[in-house]
Amino acid sequence: MGGGVAVLGAGGFVGARLLEMAVLSGRTDIVPVVRSFRSVARSAQLAVPHRLADTSSHESLLRALDGCDAVVNLTAGKPYEILPTTENIYRAARAAGARLLIHISSAAVFGEIDRPDLPDDAPPRLEQWWPYAREKGRAENLLRERMAGDGQVAIVVLRPSLVWGPSSQWVLGPASELVRGAAYLRGDGAGICNLMYVDDLVRSIDAVVAHGAAAPSGFFNVADDIVPNWREYYTALAEGLGIDPATIHSVPEDGYRPGLLERLEPLREHRAYAWLKERISLETRTHLKSRIALRGKGEPLPGAAARPVVTRTMWEVQATRYPLPTTKFRATFGTPNRVSFRSGIAASLAWLRFIGLVDREPDLHAARTGVLAAAREH
Amino acid sequence: MGRPVDLAIVGCGAVVETKYRVALARLESRGIARVAALVDPNPERLAALKRHFPSAKTFAAVGDAFAQVTPALTVVTSPPARHAEHTLAAIDAGSHVLCEKPMAVAVPDAERMVAAAQAKRRVLAIGMLRRLYPGLADARALLAAGALGDDVRFIYREGSVYNWPVTTDAPFRRVTAGGGVLMDFGSHVLDLLSALFGAPSVAAYEDDALADGVEANCRIGLAFPTANGTAQLSWTQPLATGLRVVGTHGELMLRPSTLEPLRWRRRGGSWEVGRHAATWPLDLETQGPRGAPRSDYDCFYFQLVQTLRAVAHGEPVPATGEQGLAIVRAIETCYRRATPLRLPWLTATEQAALDARHWSRQWAAA
Repeated sequence: MGGGVAVLGAGGFVGARLLEMAVLSGRTDIVPVVRSFRSVARSAQLAVPHRLADTSSHESLLRALDGCDAVVNLTAGKPYEILPTTENIYRAARAAGARLLIHISSAAVFGEIDRPDLPDDAPPRLEQWWPYAREKGRAENLLRERMAGDGQVAIVVLRPSLVWGPSSQWVLGPASELVRGAAYLRGDGAGICNLMYVDDLVRSIDAVVAHGAAAPSGFFNVADDIVPNWREYYTALAEGLGIDPATIHSVPEDGYRPGLLERLEPLREHRAYAWLKERISLETRTHLKSRIALRGKGEPLPGAAARPVVTRTMWEVQATRYPLPTTKFRATFGTPNRVSFRSGIAASLAWLRFIGLVDREPDLHAARTGVLAAAREH
Repeated sequence: MGRPVDLAIVGCGAVVETKYRVALARLESRGIARVAALVDPNPERLAALKRHFPSAKTFAAVGDAFAQVTPALTVVTSPPARHAEHTLAAIDAGSHVLCEKPMAVAVPDAERMVAAAQAKRRVLAIGMLRRLYPGLADARALLAAGALGDDVRFIYREGSVYNWPVTTDAPFRRVTAGGGVLMDFGSHVLDLLSALFGAPSVAAYEDDALADGVEANCRIGLAFPTANGTAQLSWTQPLATGLRVVGTHGELMLRPSTLEPLRWRRRGGSWEVGRHAATWPLDLETQGPRGAPRSDYDCFYFQLVQTLRAVAHGEPVPATGEQGLAIVRAIETCYRRATPLRLPWLTATEQAALDARHWSRQWAAA
């Protein structure tokens, strides 16, 4: 294919890294597409022209995809937007004459991986509590129908597991908890941590793009070649951060109780919540937030004891029993993975130091050392 | 209380819509000032703001505005590359000026702004909102009292994924914005550090911009008369945002991007929360009531009131044109010294590509 590769959602975590890897390797065929101008900031250093598209508008998408042979859908957004956005992007890609649509789904559509031989074509579980996973599953079912009747556009659905590495919430979240002393494992942490390093996800996307229109439509799981269990993952991060892994809490198997905020979470994901929020002035929202912060419920004092806050998402993801099978992807598109668990941890730790997470400990001597080290860099 | 003071707003973009509008409406409702003129080339933005200030006249160009309206104070909120042009036009028309940060994108522009204000004896204030924060006042008091001791060093980090509701891509192009994250909230950061430690001197500067790009991440090595340290800024990374200052006798922590109280401790002592008690005048009366800022909206209001008090009573503004000029000079020094920033998530090959294509090489070649 000689046309461009449109990347929808280029302002997100994976999209921004994809664009960065492409530009720094000299590629010029990537066409980043974002919802609003603010997303351009994520790649402002690269000076790549972005296109704007409203994914709820067919005409807007059509203009954004003009001249592109391949379309990569990395859009995020609210759960209730996932299905209509997927449909709109498929229709626009087809109308724009694209030959390949790569849709990034999620292994979350399966919930826990509870069997070792889970086929890539297994249907998603739509009865899940998590709105994101449920809607991702519905979007997959839509594309499954479209695959059956479409000879023009090859539709490749990639299902990454937990995308990690620098800038990932799956690194920042656990690392922040470790630093605060609030990290926890479900039971003994033997659940499988199905990681997918972000650079290797980008390489997987590139491998599909390289097949062009010859790529076979279908569903493909993607994950790291070797995945740790949760205890190994947290221990590796803790040791790299200079934190004693013995400080990681172990929460018994029956230890999860949903808090009030978590019980309200489904409301926050609802369309009506977004509607209501838009009608409360920014000033009022800011005022409420600042009042809460000034009542002492903002950032705790350094060194304050922290207890683990068990969330349902983390609780259930730690219950995963098996690695995500990825043999189908490898057999079809090759083995693009390059990053080992060890080197992924090293890069993630370097990133955590870059963002300053590590030197926030309250110890005076350590803080001074950190300051001096930073000053010495210059 | 006298007749409301006339204001002109030059530039009706996101900062006016989301921040100044509330403060301006408060000034009007209290009879302190009224918005007499709104200026913007975009008729949609003019119409959107006109709904909130129905008595204001609207103009597409500053020349037309100042031909028909004589504001006591002009608030310049246009794109930074046009701040000088609009400030000079306002001063030429006899108006005092509150200019949003960054004051200008080039030192000669900022120098002309300061010179014009001095020559015409007009107030020139710069919108450095953080000077209004109670936490800054507490930090200044601690440092002035020598509570941290000697050998004062600091680390400042501020960054998150960019989320400001811009209406164009102008903030991300060097020709229109003058730079990236440094030019954006870096001017706030340098000004805040200057308020604490004195005039800045740039020891080193690194960023991640390729040719034709603007920096999304940068790190500055800074020397001040009373402290040394580094500042790191990002539009793309969730930096552990905050200022940490450490001396021989103690340390303090402040999150200057919020209104949270300062935290500090003596060496070996336990953490304490700052007084957080700074107040600002609520109106133009000489012995009038004072209030404490509780949100950014309050700070915008107090900044406008204090600027109007400078006009009425000769009181000091939160940040002067001369202080703004010092920041523009520091930013220009940064850009002149720019070298590639090491980004730990890049592979060696990618970092080499960034180094080879860094915008400073193009500048040096030119």
